[in-house]
Amino acid sequence: MILRIVNFVVIGALILAAAYVYRIKYEATVQAERLAKLRDEVRHERDKIAALRAQWGELDDPARIEALEKRFLKLKPVAATQFDSLDHLPDQPPDYLRPGSRDPIGGMIEHLEEPATVTGSIPPPAATAAPAVPPSANTDGTSPPPPPATIAPPAVVSPARAGHSP
Amino acid sequence: MSAVADPLPGVPTEPWLRRLKRSLLYGRNVDRSAKARARVGLAIAGFIAVYGVIALRLVMFGIVADSRAPHRVIVDDAVATARPDILDRNGEILATDVRVPSLYGEPRHIIDVDEAVELLTADLPDLDATELRERLSSKRGFVWLKRDITPAQQKEIYRQGIPGIGFLNENKRDYPNGPEVSHLIGLVNIDNQGIAGMEKWLDNHGLAALHMAGLATDRSQQPVVLSVDLRVQHALRDELVAAREQFHALAAAGLILNVNTGEIVALVSEPDYDPNDPRQANDPSRINRLTTGVYEMGSTFKAFTLAMALDSGKVTLNSSFDARAPLHMGRFLIHDFEAQHRVLTVPEIFTYSSNIGAARMALLLGSDAQRAFLKKMGQLDRLRTELPESAEPILPRRWSDLTTATVAFGHGLSVAPLQAVMGVAAIMNGGTLIPPTFLKRSRAEAEALGKRVIKPETSELMRYLMRLNVEKGTARKADVPGYYIGGKTGTADKVINGRYSKSKVLTDFMAIMPADHPRYLLLIMLDEPKATPETHGFTTSGWNAVPVGGKVVSRIAPLLGIEPRMDLPPADQLILASLKESR
Repeated sequence: MILRIVNFVVIGALILAAAYVYRIKYEATVQAERLAKLRDEVRHERDKIAALRAQWGELDDPARIEALEKRFLKLKPVAATQFDSLDHLPDQPPDYLRPGSRDPIGGMIEHLEEPATVTGSIPPPAATAAPAVPPSANTDGTSPPPPPATIAPPAVVSPARAGHSP
Repeated sequence: MSAVADPLPGVPTEPWLRRLKRSLLYGRNVDRSAKARARVGLAIAGFIAVYGVIALRLVMFGIVADSRAPHRVIVDDAVATARPDILDRNGEILATDVRVPSLYGEPRHIIDVDEAVELLTADLPDLDATELRERLSSKRGFVWLKRDITPAQQKEIYRQGIPGIGFLNENKRDYPNGPEVSHLIGLVNIDNQGIAGMEKWLDNHGLAALHMAGLATDRSQQPVVLSVDLRVQHALRDELVAAREQFHALAAAGLILNVNTGEIVALVSEPDYDPNDPRQANDPSRINRLTTGVYEMGSTFKAFTLAMALDSGKVTLNSSFDARAPLHMGRFLIHDFEAQHRVLTVPEIFTYSSNIGAARMALLLGSDAQRAFLKKMGQLDRLRTELPESAEPILPRRWSDLTTATVAFGHGLSVAPLQAVMGVAAIMNGGTLIPPTFLKRSRAEAEALGKRVIKPETSELMRYLMRLNVEKGTARKADVPGYYIGGKTGTADKVINGRYSKSKVLTDFMAIMPADHPRYLLLIMLDEPKATPETHGFTTSGWNAVPVGGKVVSRIAPLLGIEPRMDLPPADQLILASLKESR
């Protein structure tokens, strides 16, 4: 009797094991197929990318771009005189706008009028007026216009040595 | 129960005929039930054996099928091997692989050769019918029918459904820039093996071994980054093509070298070829003149002579040499092209490009010193770079005084132009000889490779002379304002049938920019430029190579990130003065 139960248990276990193995095997096959498919897709994509890169290389070829430029645009090569360094930029003009001001244009006019009233005989307003001046403007109230662009002198000039004969 | 009970009484009742049969078949006294049981057992064993075999085979198929599938993919892929992409220094593509279908046949599987030939020639009209028939009738397992067909053709042939005909995707090398960088990267053959230029270098550096092992099938190989800048290369080539046309020159070549790292930023040798069309590459007139050709460089060699003289300490800028009359050397006479008929100082020798002065200077130092110096500068040995093509310099057989005098102004010694550029770069960059390279290289790497050959002060003096030559010497036409170019011209009479030709010349121009803080060295070389109305009948370098050099500089300097500086003082104030201050 016990032997018979054991037999049935073993048969049941066998069937279960077989079913399990079958499932694993089936899943593995599905995964392997998916893998192969993905690999194939990756390869296809890579090939496509390579073809597109090659095409981009052809489109981006300087000779082609230059030919197109000559046909359709009127560009000229950049001359050395067209370059300049940031040091040669004029200083930023003083900021007439007060932050948080409700009437920015009025503030500007007010600010612009101020220096006109300062002459040799009319002294600039007392220090009490000073806080009204925006922080970026000069505190003495004269507030000159932005300085003109000054060209920096050449880096090394030593005229004393110019007399040397080559 | 009746069945058991019957036989006992029924034994005699069995008909005699049946009894006879039984005794004949089984013998007397045989128990038939035992026999039957044995037979059933045998049948069971048989079935177990058969099903066992089937089960075993199933297991085997299960295992083998997995290991076989990827194997086939490799076979499909390994036909034309993948190569890494080649990029320029900014990552622009110079060479890449694309997949193209190729047509093959398996003659053993072809049923009707005539039909196959007919259908294939209909789709691919450029196939030769008799050759195709021959190939398909052969006994071989695999024959190529046509490499590199279009996808449309592939589709058409696929639709015909000819048995024994198939397609393989192959890697094909594609050079999107056409002839732009031809001599530099070289090309590959139909099996994607490098046969020239950097492509060959790739093969010699491990790729061929990878191909042999069948491992180079993947696209994911690291791209190779070259030192060349495609935009600079194009600008240089564009100007050289125009110059070659303008001066009706046999050839035009140009090179741009970063003097601080030894990187070759551009290399053009016109006429060149389109690497997508390999047939052009075999034409001997399309060789790479900068590495494969050797030339007498002419007056640019005076840079070596003056550097040697100044570096030795025996000659200073204020020394002077007699150039009043042509120099007699045995039966030869050395002339000046722009004869001044007076005593010339060292800077004047350079700016008037005086052969007599240079020859006297070399003679003062002696031929041994000259030979040792040129050897140190790498001018007497074959220069090897990544490019497989290189040429041995042609040395004079006997280094006599006459040789010393002529080599001083660049005649009698033929070197590869790249070699001369390397030497001049060493004179310019502060005195370090750095082997040129086509691969990207950092400054630290270059310094580790570099070898000091002259004193830094000599280099500074030489840069002063180069700049002076542009300000008031033979290279005035190359002065692009803002870039502070220094340069030396050279015009060499060509040797035709063992004699110096009077009319055929090779002109070259070497320019350093900027002369005060050297970064790039430019070489322009024209082979047999003809005189044109604009050059007033002259064929010397100052009329052809120099203006071309100026044009190239104004185009490439913004690309190379050289900041223009206007209103710089002349060389004797800027370079010479700073040199004296540092002393």
